[in-house]
Amino acid sequence: MRIGVYVCHCGLNIAGVIDVAALQEMACKLDDVVLAREVQFLCSDSGQEGIIKDIREQKLERVVIAACSPRLHEKTFRGVVEKAGLNPYLMEMVNIREQCSWVHADDPQMATQKAFDLIRMGVAKAKFLRELSASHSEASKNVLIVGGGVAGIEAALNLAETGFPVTMVERESTIGGKMALMNEVFPTNDCSICVLAPKMTEVQNHPNIKLYTYSEVTDISGSVGKFHVKVTKKPRFVLEDRCKGCVDLCSEVCPVEIENPMNYGVGKSRAIYMPIPQSVPQVVLIDPEKCVGCGLCQQACPAEAVDYEQKAEEIEFEAGAVIVSTGYQLFDARRKPELGFGKYPDVITNMQLERMLNSAGPTGGRVLKPSDGEPPKSVAFIQCVGSRDKTVGNEYCSRVCCMAALKNSQMIKERYPDTDVTIHYIDIRAAGEMYEEYYTRTQGMGVDFIRGKVAEIQKAEDGRLSIRYENTLECRTEEDVHDMVVLSTGYEPTKAAEGIGRMLNLARRPDRFFAPAHPKMRPVDAPVSGVFLAGCASGPKEIQVSIAQGGACASKVMQLLGKGELEADPMGAHVDPEKCIGCRTCVEVCKFGKISIEDKKAVVDEVSCYGCGDCSAACPAGAIQMRNFENEQLLAQVREATAHKSQSPFVVAFLCNWCSYACADLTGMSRLRYPTNIRVIRTMCSARVNPEFVLEALKGGADGVLVAGCRMDECHYIYGNYDEKKRLDVLKDVIGEIGLDPKRLRTLWISAAEGERFSNTINEFVKELEEIGPIGTELQEGVQ
Amino acid sequence: MSEDEEVVKVLKAAGLDMLSCMHCGTCTGSCPSGRTTGLNTRRILRDVRKNRPVLENKDLWLCTTCYTCQERCPRGIKITDILLELRRLAVREGLMLPEHRRVSELVLEYGHAVPLDEETRKKREELGLDPVPNTAQHSPEALEQVRTLLRTCRFDELTAEK
Repeated sequence: MRIGVYVCHCGLNIAGVIDVAALQEMACKLDDVVLAREVQFLCSDSGQEGIIKDIREQKLERVVIAACSPRLHEKTFRGVVEKAGLNPYLMEMVNIREQCSWVHADDPQMATQKAFDLIRMGVAKAKFLRELSASHSEASKNVLIVGGGVAGIEAALNLAETGFPVTMVERESTIGGKMALMNEVFPTNDCSICVLAPKMTEVQNHPNIKLYTYSEVTDISGSVGKFHVKVTKKPRFVLEDRCKGCVDLCSEVCPVEIENPMNYGVGKSRAIYMPIPQSVPQVVLIDPEKCVGCGLCQQACPAEAVDYEQKAEEIEFEAGAVIVSTGYQLFDARRKPELGFGKYPDVITNMQLERMLNSAGPTGGRVLKPSDGEPPKSVAFIQCVGSRDKTVGNEYCSRVCCMAALKNSQMIKERYPDTDVTIHYIDIRAAGEMYEEYYTRTQGMGVDFIRGKVAEIQKAEDGRLSIRYENTLECRTEEDVHDMVVLSTGYEPTKAAEGIGRMLNLARRPDRFFAPAHPKMRPVDAPVSGVFLAGCASGPKEIQVSIAQGGACASKVMQLLGKGELEADPMGAHVDPEKCIGCRTCVEVCKFGKISIEDKKAVVDEVSCYGCGDCSAACPAGAIQMRNFENEQLLAQVREATAHKSQSPFVVAFLCNWCSYACADLTGMSRLRYPTNIRVIRTMCSARVNPEFVLEALKGGADGVLVAGCRMDECHYIYGNYDEKKRLDVLKDVIGEIGLDPKRLRTLWISAAEGERFSNTINEFVKELEEIGPIGTELQEGVQ
Repeated sequence: MSEDEEVVKVLKAAGLDMLSCMHCGTCTGSCPSGRTTGLNTRRILRDVRKNRPVLENKDLWLCTTCYTCQERCPRGIKITDILLELRRLAVREGLMLPEHRRVSELVLEYGHAVPLDEETRKKREELGLDPVPNTAQHSPEALEQVRTLLRTCRFDELTAEK
């Protein structure tokens, strides 16, 4: 094999500490190395051209670049190698800047020794590198949007306008979601349906959007690019293509009264009804539970649209990506019995008030006490009902209810200026553009604010509602009497979306909402490729944020499916069917569901594999390997490191690419110092570290092994570090049983920003190993 | 408890953390005793948090231990348990109301917080019952056992006037 080694000076960044000439000389003598050079700046044009020239003229088969961090220039040098006609994955980078010269400036001699070790390890790995190429597969451009609320609508229209076919599936009989039910919306107080209805209509009329309402997704299989979707369209018992939406004719003759689910218990509808006047589609439906089948509506309908025999319809289609915009459901106020909802008719929820305030709603925009149909003279709002409340399992703030209560209290004050309105709050959360001003305006309208959560509601002697609370600013327990009490019920993840979560293998946060891939940096990506989250599916949020997320999801999908084909990173898992024993361990380990068993052998969905390597470390037969991080490649590095053991104590460290390796780089960038005793091997995730690697290092003579990953709950593969921690906890016991000090294996769960902690840890570990003594000391003690 | 030890830390060590209190007042608003007395549970927690003298607060003894506050606390703070722990700490410091001391003495003397009085004795006789029910009061031997138990755990020293 013909290997070329290049040592970069990086000006004085490396050459100022490390003796690069000595490195070049030593590297020359390594087996299979036919050429070694030291270059001022390898990344410069002349540096790159030199490499290209060498590859061509010297027929190099592998290239080892000793320079800065691969996180900085790996892509650059892969490009260089590719330009010379060599497979880009036949290049290995060795980090002698961030993790060597920058942290060991006080010890040039040992820094040079360490750099040489790292080069040796790089060369050892390079011998096992294989040609890799990104695989391409065709992808469906169709996008499934689950949930037709405002977030889903925004995503659908963005995609459809760009030319992507969209299939929207909505559970309810109309799209528009909760926003379509509201009256005015904060902070502008514009009419909700006035701004939303045009978009709803556009969804229905857009040639690129296929809309299924009153339908549910029953199955999703496959993965990114080729999800296979099954949908069941429930029967409305009214033919969609015939119904003219006149509703009065059929509804008027219907003898059965029902509660319209869109009105949350306010008012009555008939068993054949239009969900809301602005429904999209403009089609009525029959409540099959309540309909007595008298046939009157069928007779009354001039379009012959009523069909009592209508059956559910099954639809199947392919989708390249899925947007989950399943929204939220409201907390059931009956779960707080002390507040009397369901017992006292004039205790209502904020959504019921929304429906009353809606001029197209069941009361025509009038706020009326359900007990006697009269407008209330005094109204109290109670905040945080089912939010910020551990007793009902909802620890989180629902974020929107404060502003919603402020808005609805303004609405009451506008329509009924003489009505007293009081808001009982724990903290008013009015953080958003123009929100604090909105709060001030509400106060200016005469709405009173009392700090203290209402403890209980009872019937007063005069039949009104008595609320009991502590005014915490005055330290006084008080009882006030009101005509009507509005409970600001919190937001919960919809029960209906649980199935979608299971079908797509979505992760949930402790608050039970769907978790994005990264809470800050990837707010709309689900941790499953090809799936995106918009709106309240990932937590309570206002309309404007939901719309922004809908737009963001659309743009993410365009990026993903724009070319109509997917390029898979070649660094995923692959199975050697000869070795696979079909034990299913990998299937259990892969929480992303990318491995299945076919014909008693594991099969990896390589296109959507994330490449963490958890499966590979768990495989008892060594049958699953990670491309570019194969066992033989990593073991070659371990063996080469321990073969020379140029220092004592000698530490082999495995650092995950995302946090811990990045943290080690940061330690260098911050010019912090730590001892030279550590030789780093990079993996994509800590979960890739097979216990065998640790044992091999100890067997080879390493005095200690460090395995580092992201902090718990921050793993870029969600579960990787948890799995690895479990594995290493067991391994520590094994090491103890062998007779070695278990402290020789150290774990570190660290963020990419904790440089000081990283250097402190290396310091401590080296000191600790010095105290324990060279590897095997404890075994000899045992013999004596 | 030594003097410089903060009550909040003693409580925490007893598994009774209260630092997450958001002062919503649900406890005070729910308190059936506080409705008619000066007891304000939230303020007691605040005093603990600020390391203000709290063991001397006589309101501690107005809690009926109905547990409504604890059941409703949205942050899951064990409020009633905290009040009970504060009472224990107070008693250890010798802070006790005379009425409670009297009740403790009755337990030591009769084995009962509310011993049998003449009136009840008569009523029992009228109903054809044994005037003294089958309790520690009935058996001097059992009463002695109760006393031994109480002495062993130093109940007598704890409740004695200091």
